[in-house]
Amino acid sequence: MTDPTFPIRCRNLWKIYGPGAAALAATHAPGPDPETLASRGLLAALRDVTLDIGKGEVFVIMGLSGSGKSTLVRCMTGLVPPTMGDLLIDGENLRDMSPDRLIEIRRHKISMVFQDFALLPHLTVLGNIAFPLKVQGIDRESRERRAAELVELVGLAGRESHFPHELSGGQQQRVGIARSLITNPEIWFLDEPFSALDPLIRHEMQDELMRLQATLNKTVVFITHDFDEAIRIADRIAIMRGGRVVQVDTPEGLVLAPADDYVAAFTRKIPRHRVLRVASVLGPVSAGATGDPVRNTALVGDVAARVLAADAPLPVVDGGGTIVGSLDRQSVIGTVFGVNA
Amino acid sequence: MAAAGLHDARQPRPGPKVTRAAALSLLAGLLILAGLLWAAASVLPGWVWRVPAAWQPDLAGTVNRAFTWVARRAEIGSLAVRDITRAVASLIEVPLDLVRGLLVEGFRLRLGSGLRFEIAALPWWALTAVWGMLAHRIGGRPSMLLVLGTCLYFLVFGLWTPAMLTLASVSLSVAFGAVAGLLLGAWAYRAPRLDAGLGAVYDIMQTLPVFSYLVPILLFFGFGPVAALTATVIYAMPPMARNTTLALRRLPPSVTDLATMVGCTPRQRMWLVLLPAARHGLLAGLNQVIMLSLSAVIIASIIGAGGLGNDVLQGLKSMQLGRAFEAGVGITLLAIVLDRLSRAQALRRPAHGAEGHGRGRRLGWQVAALLLAGLVAAQLFPPLRAFPEMLVVSTGRMLDQAVAWANIAFEAPIGALRDGMVRHVLRPVKDALLALPWLAVTAAAVLAAARIQGLRLALATLAMLGFIALSGYWDQAMISLYLVLVSTLVAMLIGFPVGLAAGLHPGLDRWITLVIDTLQTLPTFVYLIPVVMLFGLGDFPAMVAIVLYALPPAIRYTKDGIARVPASLIEAADMAGCSPRQKLAYVQIPHALPEIMLGVSQTLLMAFGMLVITSLVGTRGLEQETLVAVSKARVGEGLIAGLGISFLSIIADRLISQGSQRLRQRLAGPGAGQEHP
Ligand SMILES: Nc1ncnc2c1ncn2[C@@H]1O[C@H](COP(=O)(O)OP(=O)(O)OP(=O)(O)O)[C@@H](O)[C@H]1O
Ligand SMILES: [Mg+2]
Repeated sequence: MTDPTFPIRCRNLWKIYGPGAAALAATHAPGPDPETLASRGLLAALRDVTLDIGKGEVFVIMGLSGSGKSTLVRCMTGLVPPTMGDLLIDGENLRDMSPDRLIEIRRHKISMVFQDFALLPHLTVLGNIAFPLKVQGIDRESRERRAAELVELVGLAGRESHFPHELSGGQQQRVGIARSLITNPEIWFLDEPFSALDPLIRHEMQDELMRLQATLNKTVVFITHDFDEAIRIADRIAIMRGGRVVQVDTPEGLVLAPADDYVAAFTRKIPRHRVLRVASVLGPVSAGATGDPVRNTALVGDVAARVLAADAPLPVVDGGGTIVGSLDRQSVIGTVFGVNA
Repeated sequence: MAAAGLHDARQPRPGPKVTRAAALSLLAGLLILAGLLWAAASVLPGWVWRVPAAWQPDLAGTVNRAFTWVARRAEIGSLAVRDITRAVASLIEVPLDLVRGLLVEGFRLRLGSGLRFEIAALPWWALTAVWGMLAHRIGGRPSMLLVLGTCLYFLVFGLWTPAMLTLASVSLSVAFGAVAGLLLGAWAYRAPRLDAGLGAVYDIMQTLPVFSYLVPILLFFGFGPVAALTATVIYAMPPMARNTTLALRRLPPSVTDLATMVGCTPRQRMWLVLLPAARHGLLAGLNQVIMLSLSAVIIASIIGAGGLGNDVLQGLKSMQLGRAFEAGVGITLLAIVLDRLSRAQALRRPAHGAEGHGRGRRLGWQVAALLLAGLVAAQLFPPLRAFPEMLVVSTGRMLDQAVAWANIAFEAPIGALRDGMVRHVLRPVKDALLALPWLAVTAAAVLAAARIQGLRLALATLAMLGFIALSGYWDQAMISLYLVLVSTLVAMLIGFPVGLAAGLHPGLDRWITLVIDTLQTLPTFVYLIPVVMLFGLGDFPAMVAIVLYALPPAIRYTKDGIARVPASLIEAADMAGCSPRQKLAYVQIPHALPEIMLGVSQTLLMAFGMLVITSLVGTRGLEQETLVAVSKARVGEGLIAGLGISFLSIIADRLISQGSQRLRQRLAGPGAGQEHP
């Protein structure tokens, strides 16, 4: 039952740490209650996580430290086995895979970028990037040819023979990214890839990532605890708290309809003009609206300057060019300062 | 707020007070017990004092018979064990002969029908040049000069041949030890349960005197270089295994995740990812293997490994102290060179361009070409083989005379020092320890172990001391213990103030560190030379040698402990108006105490290590038994006396380091508050 639209599906996923966790799984299916966990001194890093990640989607996982983000991704990649529940990668259940099949999948279908880069200190840039192919037994010449292409792609040309400690943090992570792309994976996991970098470099790397993704169109699972980063790159965001996924939605959806107070508090600080689209704040079709129309899918922040500069409200059109409403200064200013909507 | 921390450190909370009271009452109880025993000496039955001979199982005899049987009679399939071990020995001999042949001895080939054929060894000039080049690559110009100077020393003082013999043994022992250690360490990393067991085995391997496993090795491999090599590997391998496991365990988790995520097989994971990523730790282990190998190779000269150690030994035996001294300086130089280079290699990080593959390969070709040229030239032109005789000098005679003169000139003060120490310190301590009943000593140690750690250490202590008492070596054990205790005390008396000064004055610290780093690279054997020159034989020179050898950790730990007192605590003391002396007494020393105690346990371990060597200057404890066992080829006696030393040092180390850990936990209260105000 391969499902082309959802390469990753989690079904009632639990990960419990502590002695006797496995025994608990046998007796307390489909999932233990908090009292049982507390009385046995167990820690549930994932509680009943169910979600689907779509093909070509940039799926961001957010949450405070210790909320279980890394654990979720480690389950998806098979680095830790879930205590209960199922994980399907392209319809194949991770639980039923033989070790050989798992190696196969890791060599060709999925790859990962690490927060602390995890570069091998004894290999050059080229050697590090080519490393996954070396593991696959591909001969030196072909793997270095392919690695050279990736060096080019991530903008490290001229540094092929440098060693990791001779590079800046940003450059090191470029190597990490290139290495994770060399096997041409379908699913790309990134666990806080830019957290160790300073803000300017981080911004640059986010641009780089979006540029790459625009051409590569992979399924991306991206962990961060930086909301700015999340809303820049995400198609959808999952908010985690204490091992539970509290809400999965587009950035706009999280702001407009937070599932509970926690998400509301979490999203309060987001600059709204950077997540809200014109469609969510437009006014009724008005005859007074003149000038160049704006698209209803544009971010309010992107059209704010034009609206503020115009004397009258601007008309709003949908993809077909039909006028669906108008946008005036008031709604733009209200959005920027978080007053209306 | 910082003052609160100071307050806490000054006035311990109830916990420490209770423990101190308990310690005091324990001490008092012991004294009373001892007094009672003393008073009741006539009443107490004899077995309280010493385990009677009738109760002692014939451990040594049993071990002897077992070994003799295995070595002489036992068969595996239709092959005698003895033949198998001899076969293994001749297998090991192949690389050993190859290296020795290349470096010193040359080769003699005999092709049927009386055709003979000799190949000379690599000539000195080719080897010197090659080592100079390699040293230059590893550590730059200073390293190269050091290597060239060392080679020149060997040549000029006529020590080239023994030095090359030593080097051959060391290089093979390092190769075997490093590979075995790497494999064992990697294995222990993958099987944590195995790790605990191996740890205990390494503890014994590292504390067991070399002499006590020489005999069984001799039994199986026969007298000669292979036996020496085996003993050396046993002695030098454990740090490699430990360092490997530790280095692997300390890798960031992302590196192991990376190995999984790129789809490594278990073997690729270990050899392509984990071990290369841990290579700094591995090279640190290699450095230790090299230094321990050198130390052991020198000791092994006793059983015919030859080399520099043999020159020292013969010099000491025939009282040609000058010759011993020259060889000793040679060993020292060799130790410094090996330490420097292996350390530099461990710290080296690859850089692009500067040493691209091309350059490394070019050096390889140059070295190979030079060696080949040397080999060919040595065959064709015999004068090019050896260093010209007329350039060889010896200060041996002169040194002998100087020593003789010094001994006469300083006879009075040296004699006074020696006799005073012996009369007022050494002998009384020895007599006191010998006068104690074994039951009282064991009971006290077991009680202390129970208090400090708990039941496990108490039972282990009981078993180990019980073993010594039952083996019939109690008196010798007390003599060993007395020498080690007195030496450790003296080492602390010297090391504590020096470490204190170094910890307080960073300027001084640089020099002191340089000195103790150098002291620490020297093989144990070297320490005997100046000591015997000045003080002759006996317990006093033995003590001096032990103190010299055990001094570095005493200084280093004190220094580090003082230097690591948090700055905020010192500022708080200043603000509270402490005088420097008060600051030292109330803040710095108490805070550094756990570290200093660790220093004591390290000093003690080093003292036990050196003790074994001092048997050569005629001490009388367990170490002497192991040496005698070598000369009489008694497996059982050697092993049992050796285990005695091993047990004593393990008990002493555990008691003190556990005590230090408890002290640290206690201090962690205020310390932790300091970190999160
Ligand atoms: N191997 C483990 N054994 C026991 N507990 C673990 C283990 N790994 C993670 N945990 C616990 O599981 C919880 C979730 O950890 P996880 O690493 O997934 O958090 P995270 O959201 O990634 O946090 P961060 O932002 O700090 O990376 C934490 O409470 C953590 O202590
Ligand atoms: Mg994490």
